[in-house]
Amino acid sequence: MPARLAHVAALGLALALCAGCGGGARTDVRSVSERFLLALGEHDGAAACATLSEQARTQLEDDEGKPCADAVTGLGVQASSVGRVQVYMINAKADLADGDSLFLSDGQDGWRLDAVGCKPQGGKPADEPYDCALEA
Amino acid sequence: MRNHGLGLFFGAIFLLAMIGQAIVGHADFNHLQVAHHGDPVGFWRYVTSSDFGADVLENWQSEYLQFTLYILTTVWLVQRGSPESKPLDSAGRESDEDQKVGAFADERSPRWARAGGLRTRIYSNSLVTVMGLIWLASWGVQAVAGRVAYNANQLDHQQAALTFVQYVGSSDFWNRTLQNWQSEFLAVGSMAVLSIYLRQRGSPESKPVGVPHDATGIEG
Repeated sequence: MPARLAHVAALGLALALCAGCGGGARTDVRSVSERFLLALGEHDGAAACATLSEQARTQLEDDEGKPCADAVTGLGVQASSVGRVQVYMINAKADLADGDSLFLSDGQDGWRLDAVGCKPQGGKPADEPYDCALEA
Repeated sequence: MRNHGLGLFFGAIFLLAMIGQAIVGHADFNHLQVAHHGDPVGFWRYVTSSDFGADVLENWQSEYLQFTLYILTTVWLVQRGSPESKPLDSAGRESDEDQKVGAFADERSPRWARAGGLRTRIYSNSLVTVMGLIWLASWGVQAVAGRVAYNANQLDHQQAALTFVQYVGSSDFWNRTLQNWQSEFLAVGSMAVLSIYLRQRGSPESKPVGVPHDATGIEG
């Protein structure tokens, strides 16, 4: 019985430690976010769209009635720098120096942006969704 | 093997249930992913995720709390007629003679029961100490893993993540915790009371079939 309890405790500890994993993922999230912002700064719509998730691209094209590469530069998102990055499992948020945030998810193509130009709404930010210029 | 049937049986069905939970949990997670237009994740990624970890640990912690409380409360609380209870006049930690410690230990007693002093005090409480530590550890891991899973869902809905302190004060953490606690407390309480009147022939968890309802502390 003690051996079994030890195995149970070890597995629990391993799960707890793994919950804190994500150093590599944070680097990837930062890199994708910076690629998006750099593309916006250079008015390179095609490169910016390559960092969006398929769902976000489709949403943008449906909203604006034009190709993603033409629409993305008109979202009003400023080319700022990436500050704090948070990663939880397959979802992430990158906070920008200008106060906006980007939301990303990890799929078969790697980390891609689901929502950009997001600002916290009034009240407790954990209760209300951010107000985003584009969200999938 | 015959002498270890109880441990082996429960070890085996634990593993089978765990594998089953991993398989259906993975399917359920991916079902939700597809419903939210996300990509499915692989099996290994799921079983090492905080989503799976929180689901497993919230149940473990409540089981260990149940046994920790049961070990402790049955020292002082009795239940007339229940085989789960000590005799009504034995409530408390009992004498050294009853417990065969120190000078009253015999040659087959565990070494730390014979040793006296601090070692005997530690050994006298070792079961509840270890069960209690496992409960606290698994509850702590539930909080860590539960926060990660909760925050993943928050970010998926473009909402802010919670700090650890915010999470352990959140409705999600206490809903996960209390839904497990209440079921454990109900099961233990009903076992203590139902076993006054009902019997299972041959089980040490029951009184012998012919023993009267008011006989306390007798196991079959």
